[in-house]
Amino acid sequence: MPNVPKGMAATASALSLPVSRREKGEEERQLVRLAQSGEEAAFEELIRRHQQRVFGLVSGILRRREDVEDVVQQVFLKVFVSLKRFDQRAAFSTWLYKISVNECWDYLRKKKVRPLVYEADLSEEQVSRLDGVVSADQPPSSSSDRAEARDLLEHMMEKLPEQDRELLVLKEVEGFSVQELAEILDLNVNTVKVRLFRARARLMDVYRRRLHSKPAGAAGSAEGKEG
Amino acid sequence: MSMNAENSNAEIKYSACTQHEAALEDHLQGALHGPEAAMLAEHLRSCAGCRAALADATASARLLAVAEPAPDPGAGFSRIVMAHIRQELRTGEGKSIWRPIVSVAWRVAASAAFALVLLVSFDLGRHSQFVSDQSMMADNRVPEIAPDQPSLPANRDDVILMMADTSHGKQ
Repeated sequence: MPNVPKGMAATASALSLPVSRREKGEEERQLVRLAQSGEEAAFEELIRRHQQRVFGLVSGILRRREDVEDVVQQVFLKVFVSLKRFDQRAAFSTWLYKISVNECWDYLRKKKVRPLVYEADLSEEQVSRLDGVVSADQPPSSSSDRAEARDLLEHMMEKLPEQDRELLVLKEVEGFSVQELAEILDLNVNTVKVRLFRARARLMDVYRRRLHSKPAGAAGSAEGKEG
Repeated sequence: MSMNAENSNAEIKYSACTQHEAALEDHLQGALHGPEAAMLAEHLRSCAGCRAALADATASARLLAVAEPAPDPGAGFSRIVMAHIRQELRTGEGKSIWRPIVSVAWRVAASAAFALVLLVSFDLGRHSQFVSDQSMMADNRVPEIAPDQPSLPANRDDVILMMADTSHGKQ
């Protein structure tokens, strides 16, 4: 930004951000009002705006990709049916995400879905690759390495309590902010932060236990890392 | 501040001081500024437990960075959802939550109507039976109970007969 003092540029950007957010918010409120009056096109626009995040939220909780689409459709159906009762005191997105979370829990309860359990432990080679991911600053470059690292991470995440797994996926993978998570999950912002921090510690605990429980031939190298 | 004195996270092998966990998470997110950041930095210098926990959290972030977010459902998804909603609303009219209640209510009403018809027809039957009994009784008894219609004497003989009849038994 030429000829604009640094402080002023910062002020301008700080001012413009809330204004655009406010405009966006007002536009969304207008869309909601139209949808409430029965305008289907407005509701379709609301779906378009939020489908990606609802997909992320639902797949973060359900894990099974094949169920996600059905549940997301059910979420939007519920939102459509109860839209007239929505008084716009909260943001539409917060209300939508809360409905999504409740729908996921209902779905898991009805289906009595048990967490996936991976009985097979990691091989020495897998452990060393995972160790490479943890110690490296950059994620693996090749797509096959990334896919394997993802698979290993998924194995470890399954060992975590459901609540920890959900929080980590929603925050770190799907990009929900701490504030959003607090609103969606009806928790205090500080509680979310503490739970997130502890979930990270538990994930690393699972990771270390994996190192300890690796095949006998790899014991020496793991102890070296631990020590 | 030593970690052993402060740490009450006994449930997991976990070394951070409980009162600094939220600040450590903020620090990890790059959301801690000003005096709070300075306070945490000061604490980290003296607390090995929090330093280790922060190192773990940083490593976990690297681990989680390999995960990919859910794929975009695509531009056609909203149309699919709208079609699903329309279909559900059409069929939903037939399977609303009130439907079982309405169905039971209809059955009760039908049973009540049937019972009412039975009662009325029974009552009507009894009533018509009573009426026919009454008329039969009336038909049977009229000749016995009703007195002879007085008739005027047509000639002299009738007058004599009437007189004889009325004075019968007086002697």
